[in-house]
Amino acid sequence: MRSPENNWNAEHALRLRSEQARGEPGRTASSARSAFHSFYVLLGKEWRELMTSRAWWVLLLVMGPLVGVSFISAVRTYAEASGLNGTAVGVGEAFSPLVGIWAPTFSACELAAAFLLPFVAIRVVSGDRQSGALKIELQHPMSSFARVGAKALVLLAGWFVASLAPAAAVVLWRSYGGSIYPPELATVILGHLLNAGLTIALAAAMASISDHPSTAAILTLTVTVGTWIVNFVAAIHGGVWERAAAYTPTAMVAEFQHGLIRLDVVLIASALVLMGLTLAAIWIRLGVAVRRRVFDSAGLLAVGAAAMIACTFATASWDTSESRANSFPEADEAALEQVHGSLHIQAHLAPEDPRRSDLEHRALSKLRRVMPKLQVQYVSATSIGLFEQNREHYGEIWYELDGRKVVSRVTTAEGVLEAIYQLAGLTVPVDGDVAEFRGHPLAVPPKGAATVFYRLWPALVAGAAFFEFRRHA
Amino acid sequence: MVHATNLTKRYGRLTALHDVSFSIREGEILGLIGPNGSGKTTLFECLGGVLPLDGGMVLQGGRPLTASDRASSLFYLPDGIAPWPSQTVRWALEFIANFFGSSFDVRRSSSDAPPRTPHDARRTTNGVVRDLDLEPLLDVTIGALSKGQRKRALLAMGLLIPRPILLADEPFEGLDLRQSRDVAQTLRRHAAGGRTMFLSIHQIGDAARVCDRFVLLSGGRVCGEGTLPELSALAAARSGSPATDDLEEVFLALT
Repeated sequence: MRSPENNWNAEHALRLRSEQARGEPGRTASSARSAFHSFYVLLGKEWRELMTSRAWWVLLLVMGPLVGVSFISAVRTYAEASGLNGTAVGVGEAFSPLVGIWAPTFSACELAAAFLLPFVAIRVVSGDRQSGALKIELQHPMSSFARVGAKALVLLAGWFVASLAPAAAVVLWRSYGGSIYPPELATVILGHLLNAGLTIALAAAMASISDHPSTAAILTLTVTVGTWIVNFVAAIHGGVWERAAAYTPTAMVAEFQHGLIRLDVVLIASALVLMGLTLAAIWIRLGVAVRRRVFDSAGLLAVGAAAMIACTFATASWDTSESRANSFPEADEAALEQVHGSLHIQAHLAPEDPRRSDLEHRALSKLRRVMPKLQVQYVSATSIGLFEQNREHYGEIWYELDGRKVVSRVTTAEGVLEAIYQLAGLTVPVDGDVAEFRGHPLAVPPKGAATVFYRLWPALVAGAAFFEFRRHA
Repeated sequence: MVHATNLTKRYGRLTALHDVSFSIREGEILGLIGPNGSGKTTLFECLGGVLPLDGGMVLQGGRPLTASDRASSLFYLPDGIAPWPSQTVRWALEFIANFFGSSFDVRRSSSDAPPRTPHDARRTTNGVVRDLDLEPLLDVTIGALSKGQRKRALLAMGLLIPRPILLADEPFEGLDLRQSRDVAQTLRRHAAGGRTMFLSIHQIGDAARVCDRFVLLSGGRVCGEGTLPELSALAAARSGSPATDDLEEVFLALT
């Protein structure tokens, strides 16, 4: 005999009827609460799974010494350049902590993001599939994007914990009396956060697509190495490769490490993160036919590619460096804003010619920020330019504005500005009372850093791991 | 209650399920019987939405069961999995209960703690943990459980998920005789409470002990569906031999 309060089907029917009776708004609010509760529970589960992931603890353990090596070396170099141990005070006077300390210290994060974080992400995403837990979890009516989103959020939180190592470096630097310019430090952190996001999204997508974690690891590293190949090919061939290389994680991080935030780079990185997570969400749906998943993936890639092409048209950028390393002097920028015509520059320099690199990084990258309509064309017959030196026009830089042309061979910022002023009929502006950045020399040794990063950090991580595994065992 | 019609599943050129049709009635224990490789797990994975179907449909109340309907109507408990191996049984049961919407606390399951709301849910938890003899295992990690212990922990998860139909793949696999009997009793008790059970079983003796009706599957095709007398009559009609109440004989005659 069935007791009414225990009748599953009666309860189920009753629940459905009461939901219908409550009407659509009530049901929507109730299901939203329920969905949020389930998501919250899933977040807790993912965090717990991360806590029991050996890969994450290894990442955490290695992070301290990695950051320590970079930080200690950077502080020593900075101190020597600032006059420590009787060395001549040279570049230290114009030394910025951004270039001297933060870029090398945080480069440890780049290394960890490329070689350690993917394994943590793959473990978190593939673990459920390997153990069979995914077959249970997939029967909850939660969207697959929410599932992947929970994993990504937890991985990002795990990355924040690992980032306590570079945070310790910031505290140490401050304790030495070092200068901190928050906007440029925040820019470096943003760059590495986006890079970690890209790694997590890529690893999640590969882990969802492939059946086995080792395959996912190989695919993830293949994509990472692929972006390095793009950088390499861009350095040799230039052209469209050079444009593509500007959006690889390595190039992106490098720009952030120089205190430059480019809207197009941020948008494209965000789009790639979103695409990676969506791809993971598509492939995690084991109950959907493979053909349908392939079709959905193709649609996603098409939409993503279109979105990324659209993002390349965003020209806004912000120079957050204290030294204005990515900008011309303010007087020059004001003068350049008066040039309304379309400036076209044709540089006869090969991709591997060091002068081309000088021209690009010292002048043109700054010029593009002030003159978004600037058109630059590189002309060369070979990649290294060694055998073109005697060719007519090689090494020349032609400037054209409203039909007028001037030619120059100078690749410095001053030389480029001079040519443009001559072409536009402007007088060279005077800087006036604008204070020149003199840097923050600091001649102190990295006292206590070795203890923090080589002893304290590993001991803390090992202790926490021991406690955590013992708690779960 | 639920009708599966012409379910078909292919793996490349291999057809694992050929136009499989059957019914699941409310509150019954339906046994899916078939030899290894007959398509039992494939059928369950398709019903559970873990594998895509290539053809056919599942109807409930005459209407096709959508993916979201399915998520609220049935739950498929896979065989041979060790979910969340580094977590304890206690945590897994709590997670399952919270994630799938039954709000109860396993920490109080084995104690005489005062009742919590919802009362029924708490009672169910206490009962499931006790019936499946999981109290000594609550603080053991799932990865450290033996096959039989893991099977009981998985069954507890399945029974805690508040869905009217439970599809359990090989629920007696890895259990000893005493445990098999205990599990069979637990399943019967839940079925008596109105919950429908669909069990995939390859040991015919286990199936005969616990199931009300049977679906016989062989080579991805349904060879018969009904109670033991109905199947026996069918077997007798087909083979021309006298009817028997031995399920093994009936199975051999029909497959």
